[in-house]
Amino acid sequence: MDEASSQNQLGGSANPAGVANRQNLEEPSQRIQYSIPGILHFIQHEWARFEMERSQWELERAELQAKIAFLNGERKGQENLKNDLVRRIKMLEYALKQERAKYHKLKYGTDLVQGDMNPPVEEGGEEGRVDPDAILSTNTNVSWKQSRHLLRQYLQEIGYTDTIIDLRSNRVRSLLGIDGGGNEENHNSTPAMNGSDTTKRQPDANRWNVTKKTPSCLEAQIQDAERAVIDNFEFLRSEGEDAEGMEMDDDDDEEEPEEEEDVHRLKSPKVPKVALDVDDVDGESVDLDPDFRFLPDVEDTSPGVLGFGPGSRRVYGPGGEEDALEGLGELAQLTVTNEADATYDQISSTKENFRKTWTAKYTLRSHFDGVRALCFHPQEPTLITASEDATLKLWNLQKTVPAKKSASLDVEPVYTFRGHLGSVLCLAMSGDGDKCYSGGIDGTIRIWNIPSSNIDPYDSYDPCVVGGSLSGHTDAVWGLTYHGQRQHLLSCAADSTVRLWSTDARSPLLYTYAVEKDGIPTSVDFVYESSNQFVCSFNTANCVIFDLETGKPVTRLDTETEQGSSSISRQINRVVSHPTLPLTITGHEDRHIRFWDNNSGRLVQSMVAHLDSVTSLAVDPNGLYLLSGSHDCSIRLWQLDSKQCVQEITAHRKKFDESIFDVAFHPSKPFIASAGADALAKVFV
Amino acid sequence: MKMADQNVVLRRNRPGTKAENFYRWCDEAYEEMDSTLVVQQYIQQTIRLDHNNIDTILNAPETQDEGVWKYEHLRQFCMELNGLAVRLQGECQPSTCTQMTATEQWIFLCAAHKTPKECPAIDYTRHTLDGAACLLNSNKYFPSRVSIKESSVAKLGSVCRRVYRIFSHAYFHHRQIFDEFESETTLCRRFTVFVTKYNLMSRDNLIVPILEDESAGQGESEA
Repeated sequence: MDEASSQNQLGGSANPAGVANRQNLEEPSQRIQYSIPGILHFIQHEWARFEMERSQWELERAELQAKIAFLNGERKGQENLKNDLVRRIKMLEYALKQERAKYHKLKYGTDLVQGDMNPPVEEGGEEGRVDPDAILSTNTNVSWKQSRHLLRQYLQEIGYTDTIIDLRSNRVRSLLGIDGGGNEENHNSTPAMNGSDTTKRQPDANRWNVTKKTPSCLEAQIQDAERAVIDNFEFLRSEGEDAEGMEMDDDDDEEEPEEEEDVHRLKSPKVPKVALDVDDVDGESVDLDPDFRFLPDVEDTSPGVLGFGPGSRRVYGPGGEEDALEGLGELAQLTVTNEADATYDQISSTKENFRKTWTAKYTLRSHFDGVRALCFHPQEPTLITASEDATLKLWNLQKTVPAKKSASLDVEPVYTFRGHLGSVLCLAMSGDGDKCYSGGIDGTIRIWNIPSSNIDPYDSYDPCVVGGSLSGHTDAVWGLTYHGQRQHLLSCAADSTVRLWSTDARSPLLYTYAVEKDGIPTSVDFVYESSNQFVCSFNTANCVIFDLETGKPVTRLDTETEQGSSSISRQINRVVSHPTLPLTITGHEDRHIRFWDNNSGRLVQSMVAHLDSVTSLAVDPNGLYLLSGSHDCSIRLWQLDSKQCVQEITAHRKKFDESIFDVAFHPSKPFIASAGADALAKVFV
Repeated sequence: MKMADQNVVLRRNRPGTKAENFYRWCDEAYEEMDSTLVVQQYIQQTIRLDHNNIDTILNAPETQDEGVWKYEHLRQFCMELNGLAVRLQGECQPSTCTQMTATEQWIFLCAAHKTPKECPAIDYTRHTLDGAACLLNSNKYFPSRVSIKESSVAKLGSVCRRVYRIFSHAYFHHRQIFDEFESETTLCRRFTVFVTKYNLMSRDNLIVPILEDESAGQGESEA
């Protein structure tokens, strides 16, 4: 209403002025040209102006109020200080009287008659002091020490450390300009304040009893709840650091920073400044002693509890880790399931362990049925996949199809190898990348001369690609492995034989190892660490290292540890030999991956690796990491020395109950690939 | 292979499975199948039961989307046709079959190139199958296996047309291989019924007289 009336007045006053002006200007026309829009515009303009002024006034008022409060506080502080000093004087007077009495007694043997010998009545202290104050008795020193000790105890109860007490006493000393015999009575107020229900004003009132530390803890105490969220961010940001600064979020109290700074300047040489990068914090935090873990307890929402001392440090330790883990958003998304975490040996999906995280880059679509095997070319970024649709396909990762969806690039095959009648089950590449070998359900192993990866996919048929076939097996060939140096190929089939072939065309079959005593072989691998052995795994959960020359078992890996489970569930799906260590790694149908020592045959470690059977394993060329694929649609990357999973990738969909058939590392480039039952192969970088 | 200690049937061909034991699991009802590749699983299952029972194989379950049904069948056809291509690979030389023909009337040009080219028969076969694989797997036309875009349904017809020519070439020029293959898989017959049922090709193009002669091996080589 005021504004309205003032507006009208001003408007009225302005208008005549305007009118007058116009009259002066337009002498001849006596009529004043008022137009409604003009008037409206003028009124709006004025109103806007008034609004602005009003907001300015509000601001000023707020500032002034703040100033008033500040000054009030100062005044109260000064009053308290004065009271303390008065008390001190009284105590000293009393002490003096006591001394005189004692002296007189000693000297004269009689009591000196003095005035009032009562100890000064405790006055002041708006909250009321805790009773066992340090009342000066005749033995001032002893009682002083006692009381000091008592006070320390009380303070320790509430968590102040001795250093703070010392600091406080120093502070008081400097304030009062005395040197020694700190005024510990001042500390009395602190327990009281901590226990009491304080509002925002009260800390101001009590602040000047002692140093700024008191109000600071009170501030934090009071404003704990609102700080909890901020503290969380604080903590995440300064994980490793002491988050002392948290309690100092005095954003509500504007006057404090200024006050504290004044106070600080006086005692700054005493305390080493701890520089913390916390947010809107005032100079208070800087002065804290690094030992002082003054944190409003983040987990605790009760404002009364303060995490003083080492306790709070402990509290933050585990909390920080959790936050750190959750903060890695990217990896958290990659993790599939968490309910099985308990069964795993410490899955830590941190990035630092591996040089990077693998992400899906290429999707190889062209097969009609599940891709059973794949292997990379030794040098080039090409790979070959073998599928249940009876074809093998050669892919060049540099020839991608321009795709709309940019997340992963589609690749089309460069060449299709046709020759098998029935599913192709396994694949091996020669050491130089010129030939590849494939074994299928038809019992044949076919040799292919790999064409250049730059040929036109729709070129004319070149029969030279078909390099012949190795026949000998009478049933599905499940395992193929090639030894680069020896140039030998080892295969195992469901006819319970393992055969050694040489690439020499004249008499390829070198040796047939009959291993049916141990079951049906499921996978073979050369033992790289020693020169003349191969390891073979069976569907009966046996795993044996044989000598290549004699075919006799050299070491039998001790797999008889588990009883009671059916033989199918103990089947070993895949065995790989470590390139440099005498270590054999097996992937089992019972979800485990087991590590064996080649020399003793004993189990080194067994771990539950997946949620479903482990189907494939691959060791990286440097021997540091292990890739495992499973029918639970995930592939996992493990660090071999710590046996910890460093990454899990979900890939491929299930067909029937099968999902991932094969995984592989590129021998020289940073690629890993997985082959799935959904007819896709994926390459990750 | 059934897990003896549990009642869960795991339909897997584990390493070490003998060839005769492949897929030796009990059939799963269509309704109970729970994966994205349901249709392919179902089709393969019915074929394994009896590859001669064309009607059962081609009859879609009620709730099945027809586009997806056709698509998955076409994938299956292309996959199985590979067997024929493998058999032809040995016999169909570029020197003998310099062009892709069936009867004297038509010469088929290979569409897998930028400009249609007169590929030799074996090249035509390979290119057609490869091209079909690319098309049917391409993310652009068939991004999903559970739903087919309307615009892509037309592509199925052209794939069928080209693929059929492989049958016709084999029938007319490599009769023996064709008969062997047909007796093993009844693929051509199934294909013919398939395209007729879903109108993917015009009848004039169906030149292999597969439906008329019930007895294998006899038939005019001229349509």
